Amino acid sequence: MALLEVKNIQKAFGENGVLKGIDLTVEKGDVVSVLGPSGSGKTTLLRCINFLEKADGGSLSFEGKEYDLSRITKAEIADIRKKTGFVFQNYNLFANKTVLGNVTLGLTSARKVAKAEAESKAKEVLAKVGMAEFADYYPSQLSGGQQQRVAIARALATDPSILYFDEPTSALDPQLTAEVLEVMRELAREGMTMIVVTHEISFAKEVSTHVMFMADGNVVEEGTALEFFENPRMDRTREFLRLTSN
Amino acid sequence: MFDQKTLELLVSSFPKILEYGLKVTLPLAAIAFMLSTVIAVLVAMVQYANTPVLRQICRVYIWIIRGTPLLVQLMVAFYGLPLLGIRANPFVMAVVVFSINEGAYSAETMRAAMEAVPAGQLEAGYCVGMNYMQIMWHIILPQAFRTAFPSLFNALISMVKDTSLASSITVVEMFTRTKQIAGQSYNYLPLYIEVALVYLIFCTVLTFIQKKGEKILGSYGVRK
Repeated sequence: MALLEVKNIQKAFGENGVLKGIDLTVEKGDVVSVLGPSGSGKTTLLRCINFLEKADGGSLSFEGKEYDLSRITKAEIADIRKKTGFVFQNYNLFANKTVLGNVTLGLTSARKVAKAEAESKAKEVLAKVGMAEFADYYPSQLSGGQQQRVAIARALATDPSILYFDEPTSALDPQLTAEVLEVMRELAREGMTMIVVTHEISFAKEVSTHVMFMADGNVVEEGTALEFFENPRMDRTREFLRLTSN
Repeated sequence: MFDQKTLELLVSSFPKILEYGLKVTLPLAAIAFMLSTVIAVLVAMVQYANTPVLRQICRVYIWIIRGTPLLVQLMVAFYGLPLLGIRANPFVMAVVVFSINEGAYSAETMRAAMEAVPAGQLEAGYCVGMNYMQIMWHIILPQAFRTAFPSLFNALISMVKDTSLASSITVVEMFTRTKQIAGQSYNYLPLYIEVALVYLIFCTVLTFIQKKGEKILGSYGVRK
């Protein structure tokens, strides 16, 4: 049974259809890269799956439970979110909290974990992303790459079943991008289930098990990473890969 | 004007004026300011969350309070509340009116400060599993309070001086006490200048506290 299955998800902003019935299946341990030009709907897809945008229709099943996206309740959303992690393009670290505070807050406040336990968990995940010695820093004192690694630690701290990445390196220069991608590569090796919306084609090629290519709110092509990159079926995909590989 | 007798009067009345400043004026301003901040946070949260009905009630409250003079509000409370069977001593009545009055202004300050917190902070809170109230308490309000702090302190400084209006509903605060002393001696101007200086001292101390407070609150990003 799939960990996450999205069927016929739809979203429009006014007259403008952004998601025109997308299906997506993620098995445990999958790393799914979502590629596509700007405006293709890939970020909206991810935001709808984690309820940051309300989808107009479609269904979602998560860990065996099925939900109608147009009628899902706040309590159901809260339940699902407690088992997912989200990494934003702009990090969105809590500005008034230290690195340690950022990572522990989801545990102490939302899950009522004792402070000492939360801090030891936080130190563990911070060490994993190479940020252990920055525990007392505030986000504004860190580089973008460091902030993003803390954001990944924050998402990991609550032991999610799946991690969502929304263009995690789009705001970073090449060197900082490399340090964030290294952390993500390590997570993939450990078998973390992830959906990654990205423009990093070579990363997608190297790390993902599946690739989905979107344009204009539709899925143009999807398949295993090998099929997708070695044997693209659609002209639109070939064109995209040709342009982005240069 | 400043002959020997006047100087003696100024020296002997200074402790009496200061006493009412410390005993009445400052407590009135401090208590009313604290209550007004509580009102402001609640009213701002209702508007931020866009809660139906409550939001409209809050808008009406702000509309009426900001659209009428404080002095008139004091008078309406002083003559109106007893008609409703509510008997309170004038000091308590003044605290209530000042709180409600300042609450309307500070609510707008707080609302603007909350709206200035980037939406991503709220989204990140949801994504780590927090609920709305937890995000408010740990993320949005602390950041908004920091933004609002200088404006809120401005309100406190204004309120210290506006407490002199409480004399109109028989509260004997620092200014009324000064008037009484002046009335006994028929020597008005020097005493009014003296009380002005005491207000100035109070506000100078508050300004100093504000600077310290801003330093403490401004510490995100300063390595500890």
